[in-house]
Amino acid sequence: MSLLLEAERYVANQSSNRMLNAFITPLCRHSGRWHDQAKDADIRGKQGKLRSRLDGRFIAFKDNICTRDFPTTCASKSLDTFTSPFNATVVQQLEDAGAIVAGKTNLDEFGMGSHSIYSSFGHVMNTRRGDDSKFLSAGGSSGGNAVAVATDQCYAALGTDTGGSIRLPAAYTGTVGFKPSYGLLSRWGVIAYANSLDTVGILAKRVSVARDVFDVLNKHDPRDPTSISPSSRSRISSKLNLPQLTSRLTSRPLRIGIPLEYNISELAPSVRQAWCHSLEYLRQQGHTIQPVSLPMTKLALSAYYVLAPAEASSNLAKYDGVRYGTRSDDSTENQSETYLYAKTRGAGFGPEVKRRIMLGAFSLSAQAIDNYFIQAQRIRRLVRHDFDAAFQAEHPLAAEIRNVELRQQAKQTGIDVLISPTAPTPPPTISDITDTSTKRSNLDAYINDVFTVPASLAGLPAISVPVSGKDNAGNQEGDILAGIQVIGQYGDDELVLKVGELLERR
Amino acid sequence: QERIPIRKQLKQEAKAIKSRKRERREQEEASRHKWELTVGVEIHAQLNTETKLFSRAPTSPSELPNTNVALFDLAFPGSQPEFQVATLLPALRAAIALNCDIQPVSRFDRKHYFYQDQPSGYQITQYYEPFARNGYLDLFRHDGIAPEDGDRVRIGIKQIQLEQDTAKSQEYPPSMQLLDFNRVSHPLIEIITMPEIHTPATAAAFVRKVQAILQSCSAVTTGMEAGGLRADINVSVRLRGDGSGTHQYSGIGGLGQRTEIKNLSSFKAVEDAIIAEKNRQIAVLESGGVVEGETRGWTIGSTETRKLRGKEGEVDYRYMPDPDIPPLLIGKDIISALSNTLPAGPDALIDMLVGQYGLAIEDAKPLVELEDGARLEYYQDVVDILRNLQQDLDSKTQAGLGRVAGNWVLHELGGLLSKAGLAWDAERVTAESLAALIDQLQRKRITGATAKKVLAMLFDGDRRPVAQLLEEENLILRPLSREEYIALASAAIELNPQMVEQIRSKNQLGKLGWFVGQMMRMGEKGRVEAQKADAILRELILGLSQ
Repeated sequence: MSLLLEAERYVANQSSNRMLNAFITPLCRHSGRWHDQAKDADIRGKQGKLRSRLDGRFIAFKDNICTRDFPTTCASKSLDTFTSPFNATVVQQLEDAGAIVAGKTNLDEFGMGSHSIYSSFGHVMNTRRGDDSKFLSAGGSSGGNAVAVATDQCYAALGTDTGGSIRLPAAYTGTVGFKPSYGLLSRWGVIAYANSLDTVGILAKRVSVARDVFDVLNKHDPRDPTSISPSSRSRISSKLNLPQLTSRLTSRPLRIGIPLEYNISELAPSVRQAWCHSLEYLRQQGHTIQPVSLPMTKLALSAYYVLAPAEASSNLAKYDGVRYGTRSDDSTENQSETYLYAKTRGAGFGPEVKRRIMLGAFSLSAQAIDNYFIQAQRIRRLVRHDFDAAFQAEHPLAAEIRNVELRQQAKQTGIDVLISPTAPTPPPTISDITDTSTKRSNLDAYINDVFTVPASLAGLPAISVPVSGKDNAGNQEGDILAGIQVIGQYGDDELVLKVGELLERR
Repeated sequence: QERIPIRKQLKQEAKAIKSRKRERREQEEASRHKWELTVGVEIHAQLNTETKLFSRAPTSPSELPNTNVALFDLAFPGSQPEFQVATLLPALRAAIALNCDIQPVSRFDRKHYFYQDQPSGYQITQYYEPFARNGYLDLFRHDGIAPEDGDRVRIGIKQIQLEQDTAKSQEYPPSMQLLDFNRVSHPLIEIITMPEIHTPATAAAFVRKVQAILQSCSAVTTGMEAGGLRADINVSVRLRGDGSGTHQYSGIGGLGQRTEIKNLSSFKAVEDAIIAEKNRQIAVLESGGVVEGETRGWTIGSTETRKLRGKEGEVDYRYMPDPDIPPLLIGKDIISALSNTLPAGPDALIDMLVGQYGLAIEDAKPLVELEDGARLEYYQDVVDILRNLQQDLDSKTQAGLGRVAGNWVLHELGGLLSKAGLAWDAERVTAESLAALIDQLQRKRITGATAKKVLAMLFDGDRRPVAQLLEEENLILRPLSREEYIALASAAIELNPQMVEQIRSKNQLGKLGWFVGQMMRMGEKGRVEAQKADAILRELILGLSQ
């Protein structure tokens, strides 16, 4: 199929799937640059001069990634008419590789949410249906991305993952969601929710596509102060023997860790089945399975929900309607500046964003910072130590080895990757989540992130791949697929992708 | 109603003012013995840098509003800080000049508050781990410290931190505010002293000297008068000798409740505001009240500080480490390189001028302070040229050269400048011209009056070389003969017999000067030397011979 035909099919799917609400700004069938761009890529293809494996491919962007040619709303009223004056580095990199911006996808406002329902542009609907054909959650916050990929509205999608925002939607929609190591992909032009956790990531139908996108983006960007420098990058690849990845995979069986703390009572049977199935498959392939303890896991979720809102409360202070964004209508009339700010921010932010700003402002306040923010930072360090003690490979950028004995032990018995479920349950129905009568607390939604948050706190690469929830492989695709997560040591992204590829759709 | 003659009334009023002043002085003295004042100072100084702290936008105090603004300066969504390493250099020079320990690792934090001059809703500063700590500054008598501080006092500097400036906001009541973001993120340092200052004069002297030091090492270019420096002052009082106060600031305990006076923009304001706040606190305490911890303001020309906000209005800044900005790592090599190339500070310069140039300390001080050292540079040029010109002269004249040149550079040239209301310009009268002029005077080839007149001509734009000018204007002293002096004196005497009589009979020698003036006026211009004319007059009128 020519790239143009493929493009036309994506655009047609975008309009026929409008009711899933995956896009805030979709492409227009009859106009736009996409048509010419696809045609040009076809010409380059015929001449054998494709710019990259992504030349002419449709990539959708989560609407918190800045694009010059499309609005960037963050699904927030405060930015509902905002268009950024510049392209995010990742947008530019993909455009330079020939990729076509396939529109801007829906999300939880500023990335805060686990079901893509906190959007001022309406809920995102999962294409999969539950009992009685009820709509299921698409996961969040990159739910629009995931649905767009699952329903062939684009070739791949770029999102952000702060505590699981790519992996959870991937698990809920049966797609692949990859969160690379923190600092490998540029965040310049990616609107911050919690900078120290925010990671640009990729949603695609296959791991191989995610890898193609990753390869285009995996470069140092001087405009992002947290982007890993070229010298650190070479340190990573020499310490992890990355050039010899293939030999690492064939020279000896992989040691696969099962984090014992992830085997919680709330785990749904189908999810547990998919997990067992994955481990069994890897064992059959000759790899070693070994249990691992990550004792800090239990505290990780609490630490995350202190740290992320704290950074959010700071990052979102800029949305005051003074220099850009939407200003509350009657706020200019002869009123004190606090009133102007309060009106604009009160009207501009949705309930979940307000909740997290309040949480964050509290945990940073003079009376609370020692008991909340500082403690959470401490837990974050301990979570990282947990992982470092478990992995065979040493953290390539760790300044010093804290516990030599532990390190020695890890070198001998340490694991290569961890395998766990991505989420404890299959997607809940949207009506369950939004039904106020069921007395669900707002905190209930936070539990969905329990398996994804630890890798975020430690900045580790993690991928969620769809795996069958039934033990006999080969049942109908899309039926019961659960998300299985592969977590690797920092910088070991290639290995994580490789293991993800072994597992996908098994 | 009795009418008091105006002269008498004025006298009475002057007397009353005097006695009020005396009374106040006595009161001050009494309260000084009873109460001890403690002051801590925070100085914000705009660093002399090419770019802003976190963007490549140029710094531009004087350009059109909103012309030098990067995306990050406006807090655009998705933009990120880019620390400009070069901005660290003036900050380090300042910290070294203020004798601080430079920290190998320091970090940036966010200080949150909502205001339209703060685009991101927070200021990036160094709260938890500043880049410099534990400095000090010595103040001497000539720095203008209070007499009770003796010859020298050392003020501890707790820390210096790097931070961003805010935007300029201009109010147009009732409802318009204009914002200029050129200043946003201009690099600042904040210098925080220990609460170790105990007199208003010494606090003002400290701020003045910090400004001089920052200028001498090119850490800043604009002083307080142009808004380049701003000071916040913490003030508390306690009964002298009573260490029972429950408050502790910067590790110094036993102090009274302090208040903070924000945003003082002149040395005088620093001194006056402290006096006013000290008196207010003493009055509160003496009437049995309690000093509240609050933020206060000061208006120039006022006699009282005013409350801006109390404890209940305090902002919780929610300091948080900035997650985007990596820690600042400063190596020993850069510190030693900067230390070795740091220009001499004001103290060293004053010592040099007094010791090697023979200047009085009263002249050395302004020379160092005026025009950020530009006047000093000019002065040194003049002296160098003069030394060259006068190698043939006796050692006594050579030794006095620095003092003479100081007089001309500071007072004569300075007088012309202030009379014309002009700013300093080293090219107006070049160092070469002034040196040549002084040389002519020292060699007694022109009179002092001529020298002053020629200086004024040069000042007004006469570009001729001094020698040519003197020649063409016929100003070179051609000494008159004794006969010529006698003729001039006789003519003057003849015209004013009464005056002569008064001098002779009443011995009113002061009137001789008047005759000298007459002779100068009658004689050829620039040729009559006052000393010689006086001698002849004494001879003729009083019959005295030398």
